[in-house]
Amino acid sequence: MSVSNDPPLPQPDLLAAIPRLRRYARVLTGDVNRADDLVQDTLARAWEKRRLWTAGSDLRAWLFTIMHNVFVNQRALARRDQMQVSLDDGDGSEAWQIPVRAGQYTRVELTELVAHVGRLPTDQREVLLLAAVEELKYEEIALALEIPLGTVMSRLSRARAKLRLAFADAPAATPLKVVK
Amino acid sequence: MNPLPVTDADLNAYADGQLDASRVAAVEEALAHDPALADWVADARHRNAALRDALDPWLEEQIPERLLVAAAGPAVVAQPRARRWLMQAFAAAATLLLGLAIGWYARDVELERDGTPTTFTRQAALTHALYAGDVNRPVEVWAPEEKRLVTWLSKRLGFPVNAPDLNGTGFALVGGRLVAGHQNPTAMFMYENADKQRLSLQVRKQHVDGGEVAFRYAVENGVGVFYWIEDNCSYALSGNLDRGQLLAVGRVVYGQLAALEAAPRK
Repeated sequence: MSVSNDPPLPQPDLLAAIPRLRRYARVLTGDVNRADDLVQDTLARAWEKRRLWTAGSDLRAWLFTIMHNVFVNQRALARRDQMQVSLDDGDGSEAWQIPVRAGQYTRVELTELVAHVGRLPTDQREVLLLAAVEELKYEEIALALEIPLGTVMSRLSRARAKLRLAFADAPAATPLKVVK
Repeated sequence: MNPLPVTDADLNAYADGQLDASRVAAVEEALAHDPALADWVADARHRNAALRDALDPWLEEQIPERLLVAAAGPAVVAQPRARRWLMQAFAAAATLLLGLAIGWYARDVELERDGTPTTFTRQAALTHALYAGDVNRPVEVWAPEEKRLVTWLSKRLGFPVNAPDLNGTGFALVGGRLVAGHQNPTAMFMYENADKQRLSLQVRKQHVDGGEVAFRYAVENGVGVFYWIEDNCSYALSGNLDRGQLLAVGRVVYGQLAALEAAPRK
């Protein structure tokens, strides 16, 4: 492979993206070290695949796509080898450590919220994170996760319904019937 | 149940601030008539904000070195000798950037698309600081191999570049290297004077036609940068010199490039 013949990735943008990649990875894996492994693999993959990045397009969204793919592949391998237990299979909330910061929310509330998010199925967790925390457009999320826009919306709905249920013992779904 | 055709997707988009403007009125009317819907939206927004509040502090953590190395790309990993200082430089660059870049990220992308070279000056200053600060290996190819350097960089950039002769200003060519640009690779030539002050000239192809830009001056992170655009190429002359000194050198560079441009190609 002729690594040196492809134009390099813009490193200032790459560096600027790392904190967000780490955060996303941490929510995906529920573990600080595994998250950084995932980020490292993602960066390595990004360099390998850099000819696929369109110069001038949103590097961060492209990196989220790569991270998603690396994560899905690694999880599939781990399942096959039964070396790791997926977060989805159990309660991964012990892995979460919420930074303490004085804000308008209590620490208990935040810890509980993040623990509930950690228990969401990965596909719903990804969409919720990208929409609520990374504030990506739904269209960008669909591109990043390589799923149709309708799937983004339904996963988001289900994620929010689950959180609502977890917190309130309230009606599980939105108080609406879906109208086509 | 409210009869208005407001969907789940509408509510989510409204809560996330992404609802199409044409739907906002319908959703807001539904919310006004149905406290359960209003409660759902308030709840979703509250949780968005709480989640950001919970997870934003992670963004301020120091980036582990192994990730800085991974971000530097495979070429760096292959050169253990170069790695240590480059890692340090990256750590410094990352610290500088984190403050600037996170908040400015989206804006920079927009500016760059519009052809406003704001990012170029910042990048030029950063690149200069990164390499000029390295005593032992500021360049990849040294001045004695100037011919090879110029040929190599011209090939990589896809157009002919030249290292101006700045001996008249007291600055001798140290050498050069290829550096990552935002959209296009950038050639960098490094110069040094008797006082060990260093200057760098960075050249790259403009991605969009930005027209001609007269000399502009900016100070980024303490590094003075003169930049200009000509013939769809951006030039940035960076150094820890005062504005007058830098401008004097800049005029020499500009004059030589103009003379080259005017001269018939061999």
